[in-house]
Amino acid sequence: MTQPARHAAMLSISNSGSNLAAAAEKQQPAQHLHTQSQSSQGLRVPSNRKTIYDRHLNRSRNAELSRASFAFLFAEMVTYAQRRVTGIQDLEKRLNEQGYPLGLRLLDLLFYRTMSSSTSSSLSSSSTSASPPNRPLRILPLLHLIHGPLWRLLFNRPADALEHSVSPETPNEYMITDNDPLVNTYISVPKEMSMLNCAAFVAGIIEGVCDGCGFEAKVTAHNQPTEMWPGRTIFLLRFGESVMEREKVLERAGVK
Amino acid sequence: MSVFSLIIINKAGGLVYQREFQPGLRKLSTNDYLVLAGTFHGVHAITRSITPKLPLPVTAPATTPTTSTPNAVSPSATSTPAPSTVTHSFPNPGIPATGLETMETDKFRLTCFQTLTGTKFLLFTDPTMTNIDVIMKKIYELYADFVMKNPFYQLEMPVRCESFDRNLTGWLRGRA
Amino acid sequence: MSSATKASRIGEELWKTRVDKVNAELVTLTYGTIVAQLCQDYDGNYQDVNKQLEKMGYNIGMRLIEDFLAKSNVGRCANFRETADMIAKVGFRIFLNIAPTVTNWTSDNNQFSLVFDENPLADFVELPDDGRAQDELWFSNILCGVLRGALEMVQMQIEAHFVSDVLRGDDTTEMRVSLVRYIEDEMPPDEE
Repeated sequence: MTQPARHAAMLSISNSGSNLAAAAEKQQPAQHLHTQSQSSQGLRVPSNRKTIYDRHLNRSRNAELSRASFAFLFAEMVTYAQRRVTGIQDLEKRLNEQGYPLGLRLLDLLFYRTMSSSTSSSLSSSSTSASPPNRPLRILPLLHLIHGPLWRLLFNRPADALEHSVSPETPNEYMITDNDPLVNTYISVPKEMSMLNCAAFVAGIIEGVCDGCGFEAKVTAHNQPTEMWPGRTIFLLRFGESVMEREKVLERAGVK
Repeated sequence: MSVFSLIIINKAGGLVYQREFQPGLRKLSTNDYLVLAGTFHGVHAITRSITPKLPLPVTAPATTPTTSTPNAVSPSATSTPAPSTVTHSFPNPGIPATGLETMETDKFRLTCFQTLTGTKFLLFTDPTMTNIDVIMKKIYELYADFVMKNPFYQLEMPVRCESFDRNLTGWLRGRA
Repeated sequence: MSSATKASRIGEELWKTRVDKVNAELVTLTYGTIVAQLCQDYDGNYQDVNKQLEKMGYNIGMRLIEDFLAKSNVGRCANFRETADMIAKVGFRIFLNIAPTVTNWTSDNNQFSLVFDENPLADFVELPDDGRAQDELWFSNILCGVLRGALEMVQMQIEAHFVSDVLRGDDTTEMRVSLVRYIEDEMPPDEE
């Protein structure tokens, strides 16, 4: 629970040996905001310059694809992961790891878009005074970012509930509920694996967002079916001690 | 509601799904269902193979586009793997014979829908029931959604997908 | 009306009325994370990654064909040219909202190319700048497998591979598709 955020580990790898650097780079072929320099050997680009640098990042903002395509890709991801794991926990861990880099990237995208929309709205007055994106400093704004904008970006609707643990033992635990997770729509988990929840993938996305914001956390997905919502899922977020300590300091300092 | 039950048979003739939709319907034994599926599969194949074939005029190409295919198919596009020595063909050569599609008694009707991939859906209904094709189409869609998109379903194996059952029963109940 | 025009209309109509949608970026990023995972699992051996992507596509194709048939309600194609239009204008439209151009037919009508103007799977993508990926990795190789798996289920054995990709610096993204044979027996294939 107190180990360093994973993306920090990833970055440090890319600075060490060249083999490892290549491996780390390969982890991120789908980069939104390129951070590495373009000057190395240089990639070939098509003459019509249809590259990620020449096309607008908001091009796909409102684009839609078929839900079936997502379902098939996700199902194949689960099938593939299943062949390489030993048990349910292991499978969930792997799905979590597949979602994690998405969270890191989506965070950039969310900030970029919040920023660009505020820039365009204030263009008439002064384009330079546009406020930088609001990175959450406290837990609550972070959770609202996940519950609202992140969920809308991914699933076109906000999550269904956001709660704080009622137990005094676990003040670091928060819960986000999705009554009917999109990723599980077509999935029936076999009886012998009834503990499994493939939304562990989404838990990984959330974890990536938290880590990316500097909130070290472990996020897990749990089945909480009701009569009306057989697929109801609780995402349990457990923030690390350092986060909780910082939270207290910021509270005293009056930071919101 | 006049849909009695549904059976799904895989392309090898094996029973992969069986479900009743009317409470209290007398059940056959599992073995009876297996035999039923296998037998139907065989009869279906026979009905296909006994489809009357007409002699072809020697000069006609083996795959003259039929009225049901787009009429603008270019003449150069008529090559098919069918051996050119075939001298008999179905009335509509471009379309393969379907095999048994319905069976009716005065108590029930059995409708068979075979997909292009070879899976068969057998629906037992009241003989007076109409619009069975609409129901069949919806069942196929639910199957494509809740069986095919389920990573825990293995192709050709028995269908044990809780959300398929739930959505199928829910939809059928909704129409009743 | 040509078979291509007819197929285009069917595809567009289906996309508008019958296809449930999700945010395109969810699909794009999910595919990206799959490829990235494979690159990691296969230790940067891009040939193996291509192969695995094709295999995953094959598994998907064998299932996706049912969704295609259930949604489109189309019958069997009369010939391979019609099949090509059906893939490009109906299949790609309902699953990826694109319609690649069918072109470069061989004279025996057994081989054609699909040329992609857009490829949603590769939005946001830049291949690793390691001096190898642009020569070895076919990022969208899963699509070749999808075609192979889907067509095998409707009794066509085909072979598909990419011959160019804008991600590699080529000016086009092009996939070559060849009909190997029509499959006579109806024995089920093994899932890979």
